[in-house]
Amino acid sequence: MRALALAAAGLVLAAAPAAAQSPPSDARCVQCHRQLADTNLSRPARLFPTDIHAKFGFGCLDCHGGETGKDSAAGFIAKPNRKDIPALCGRCHSDAQFMKQYDPSLRVDQVEEYKTSVHGKRLFEFGDTNVAVCISCHPAHEIRPPSDPESTVYALNVPATCGHCHADPKRMAPYHIPTDQLAQYKTSVHWEWMSKQGDLSAPACNDCHGNHGAAPPGVASVKNVCGQCHSTMMTLFTGSGHADYFVQRDLPGCETCHSNHAIHAPSDSFLVEMADSVCAMCHQPGDSARVAFLAIRHLIDSLRVARDSATAILDRAQQAGMEVSQAQFELADAKDALLKARSAIHSFSVDTVAAQLKSGFAITTHAEQRGAAAMHEHLFRREGLAVAVLLILGVIAGIWLLIREIEHRQKHSSRSS
Amino acid sequence: MSDTSAPVTRKRFVRWLLGTSVGGLVAAVLYPVTRYIIPPKVGESAASSVTLPFPPTEIAKNTGRIFKFGNKPGIILRTPNGDLRAFTAVCTHLGCTVQYRSDLSEIWCACHNGTYDLNGRNISGPPPKPLTPFDVRVRGTQIVVSRKA
Repeated sequence: MRALALAAAGLVLAAAPAAAQSPPSDARCVQCHRQLADTNLSRPARLFPTDIHAKFGFGCLDCHGGETGKDSAAGFIAKPNRKDIPALCGRCHSDAQFMKQYDPSLRVDQVEEYKTSVHGKRLFEFGDTNVAVCISCHPAHEIRPPSDPESTVYALNVPATCGHCHADPKRMAPYHIPTDQLAQYKTSVHWEWMSKQGDLSAPACNDCHGNHGAAPPGVASVKNVCGQCHSTMMTLFTGSGHADYFVQRDLPGCETCHSNHAIHAPSDSFLVEMADSVCAMCHQPGDSARVAFLAIRHLIDSLRVARDSATAILDRAQQAGMEVSQAQFELADAKDALLKARSAIHSFSVDTVAAQLKSGFAITTHAEQRGAAAMHEHLFRREGLAVAVLLILGVIAGIWLLIREIEHRQKHSSRSS
Repeated sequence: MSDTSAPVTRKRFVRWLLGTSVGGLVAAVLYPVTRYIIPPKVGESAASSVTLPFPPTEIAKNTGRIFKFGNKPGIILRTPNGDLRAFTAVCTHLGCTVQYRSDLSEIWCACHNGTYDLNGRNISGPPPKPLTPFDVRVRGTQIVVSRKA
């Protein structure tokens, strides 16, 4: 997108000072092209007013060249060759001095990055014009900034933009690469956070592959890429025995257990003795590591059960009207311990996980005791209440009987008299 | 004539009064007992402000403390410049309690190494959103923290 913007801006560069003055020929281009029956020719004219370049005063000739119209001698290009597009956009977008006039914070290394991408390499080294160029992601004549929800490169739209090509089996056939990445990604926890929880910082394609320099991360780089967000796990994994072993076996970190595009929310069920559990995929019965991961699962389950039990008794005490808010407040730290222990699994060390759980067990034990004490107090109060109610009801019954007795005596004495 | 059509005598009135009073007395005893045995559901705390159990002088520059705001944790910190600021202390990633890191002058979540700046903005790691800020007022030796209007 920015590339296209670059392209547009690039052309503008040539005529930069004059660009913002909207030469009259631009108006003439639009005037005619809007009337044309061929949508390939009329569509650009209709769309361009929404393009960010139009908003900055750039016009048709800034990218298509020529000074007075279709004058090839003056540099008019009806349809730029795809191979030339990065350079065309880069005329402006790679020029820091020029771009400063419009967006001083915008990077100007997109074209250089593009050259390092699989797309760029194929384009420049093999002349493969089927690969993505600037306008594939930043559609010409309707380029919008990434912050615009209608932009093809708005975070929520990036997967569909990449999937436009990468989920197309026909287009990908010559490259012999899978086309299910988008479908897989849409089952992932990352997409769930982005699309359902509105977290636009959740990773889309470009966060792991790069945008202008898009390429699959190398096997050795996967943990670093994931570690951009999941740094705790990366640090633990890097210090574990698995890290070296994975490198020796050419296995990517993180991805080997968590998959790549279909990264689902991790759960304790990874650590079970079933053939399809993550750990059991490699660690066969009898393997000492299997004992370790089952021990870790047991420890985690123990704290989870202890926390659930303490939560339940405190909830019952609260429901019964007892003051346990401080105990409930402190119990929240047990959840922290549980989460830290789950992160500590990436050390693959029972001791490391146990150390994280230690404080959690102390908290749950304390909370359980306070809940039990509150319920004991509650029971004592209930018993006291029952005794008091019985006494009061007894007194009421006594008064009622006394009144009846008085009435009975009055009737008896009136009959006698 | 039947009893119902008989004129209300003083005696009948007193008997009716006594009879209904006993019923009222029983109800007055049993109702609170019933509500005690079957209490209503307890909802989320709706506390909108809290007075902290420590004075401002106990928060040195570049330090922070956790406090109880309703039934959730809050964090109050004094920036290296001396400003007092308070936020929810619940990490926006998975809900761990955050803490102040004096060595970084940042708010930090130990669970997944998420960090927030001194304005509560998430700046690295997995937290997707900023921490919710509170209003902080110092009244003499008391700190009053309240939800923003």
